Amino acid sequence: MKLVCWLIFKELLHRKVSFVLSTVAAMAAVALCVAISMTQAAAQNETRRTTRDIGSNIFIIPKMADEFDYFNTGFSEKTMPEETVHEMAKAPNISYNHLIATLTQEITIAGRTVRLVGLSGALHPPGRRKKSKMGFAIKQDHVYIGYRIAEVLSAKKNEDVQFLGRKWTVQRIEPEKGTIEDITIFGLLPDVQEALNLPDRINEIKAIDCLCLTADRDPVKILREELDKILPNAKVFHIAAIADARAKQRQMMDKYSPFLVAVLLVVSAAWLGVLAAVNVGERISEIGLLRALGYRSGAISALVLGRAALIGILGAILGYAVGCLLAINVGPEYFPVTAKAIRAQPAMLGWALLGAPLLAMLASFIPASWAVSHDPAVTLRQD
Amino acid sequence: MISLQSVSTTFSTRGGPVTGLDDVTLEIPAGQLACVVGPSGSGKTTLLMAIGGMLRPNVGTVQVNGQDVYSMSGSARAAFRARNIGFIFQMFHLVPYLNVLDNVLLCTHGNGGTSKQAAVELLERLGLSHRAGHKPSQLSTGERQRTAIARATLLKPSVLLADEPTGNLDEENAAEVVKILGNYRDEGGTVLVVTHGSDALEYADRVIRMRAGRVTEETITADSS
Repeated sequence: MKLVCWLIFKELLHRKVSFVLSTVAAMAAVALCVAISMTQAAAQNETRRTTRDIGSNIFIIPKMADEFDYFNTGFSEKTMPEETVHEMAKAPNISYNHLIATLTQEITIAGRTVRLVGLSGALHPPGRRKKSKMGFAIKQDHVYIGYRIAEVLSAKKNEDVQFLGRKWTVQRIEPEKGTIEDITIFGLLPDVQEALNLPDRINEIKAIDCLCLTADRDPVKILREELDKILPNAKVFHIAAIADARAKQRQMMDKYSPFLVAVLLVVSAAWLGVLAAVNVGERISEIGLLRALGYRSGAISALVLGRAALIGILGAILGYAVGCLLAINVGPEYFPVTAKAIRAQPAMLGWALLGAPLLAMLASFIPASWAVSHDPAVTLRQD
Repeated sequence: MISLQSVSTTFSTRGGPVTGLDDVTLEIPAGQLACVVGPSGSGKTTLLMAIGGMLRPNVGTVQVNGQDVYSMSGSARAAFRARNIGFIFQMFHLVPYLNVLDNVLLCTHGNGGTSKQAAVELLERLGLSHRAGHKPSQLSTGERQRTAIARATLLKPSVLLADEPTGNLDEENAAEVVKILGNYRDEGGTVLVVTHGSDALEYADRVIRMRAGRVTEETITADSS
């Protein structure tokens, strides 16, 4: 084995071009896998953020609410018990990512009609891990106020404002958005319920849900059927465009990395395989000679596969370094908001050191079999 | 001792099966130098490969030193070959990325008893000590062949098989190589030389003539030692 290792080293140093090209193939595969893996968290956060900004895709309002009023004003005058959202959360046949109950009313502040929205905390399906907070985190007795309202009230962050007969602290002034949110105040649901004197009442449930892409069945119909059983006082609306956009965005993000990695691995393996085959072709007389000298099939295989393993190890080390550099330097350009999530993952080096030699050896398996099975008598007779 | 009993080999080619050896029966006693002569395609190299355990015959048995070469497993045959048979080729088949000394030591795998010192001494005897650190590309053809001979003889195999060892050499180098082979025989080795030329014949104890895969004539030379 010592002699085989020595031969591998000597050969690698002799056929430098083949060695470099093979190492580059392994390095490229590892580097891109590492870079993709490192930027994956940032990409997911960025996607989550993007899809969150799109809005919810299911709205549930009281059954008694008038759809025309709802679509005209953007909220329902009718309310339903807050318990509705908890019942929905517990329902076994309802699929959702998270639910938020809201209570929305129009109020007058400084002679202007504005919208007040009370937000519950997000409810997640039982057993699902809570994702990091990307939305509102309003404190008790605090409010987020829209840009125009802040102007009208001359309100500043951490200052108190007075409306509905009580004092609220401005936790945040939203940037100008050019939407209804510019004249909206967001508060905690219990605070808003108390201020509006509507304890334990809500008038809308927003559900982020990807049931919408159930292939050949109408998901809203399914959801309505399910909800009718448990929430006889609610009705469901589905915003197809938002739901589809969200689902497609997620699906794209979920699919692109594995696809890219698979393509990379196949291309790299093919590259390594071709180079290994060329290498064996160049060495066929050398291999014939070794057979004549009494080298066994195992030693001949070890020459080819050991070479591949060494290239894989070197490719893993270099690829990890290059992948980290790529992700850290180029990643923030693509994921500027969530760039902090891009950081080196030392465990990836371990995986690379395991995976790259395996990939290289797998790619060299056919050339190694060829080397072993090639009749040395044919080669040596061709003098 | 080399012994072949009714050995036949056939190769499959696109044009149909081709006979390599056709019912060859042959015996070469230990310590003799035998030359195999004949036109191209007569089966000389095939005979060599069959004796060397590199080409399994379709029919017949090949024995070297009393052992049926092809009754062994592949790995046992490889080990047997490493210990008992040395090959010398017309094209030398030196490994291009190893220097002369390393090329010679290539045969020592699994034969840990052979020291580097023995290889150095052998190179000295063959007039190659000053070339020990050179790559094959830096050697003359004569030096390459002597390196190949050193590799084939370092472990002192009982059988040395040489396939056209002088085919690429000038007269002077060819004579030197033949002399080395003769000396190997004189030291007790059995040498089988496939040749086109007549340079090895003067050292031959027997001459085997082949044509179309058959041994057509076997001559035991009068002045064999």
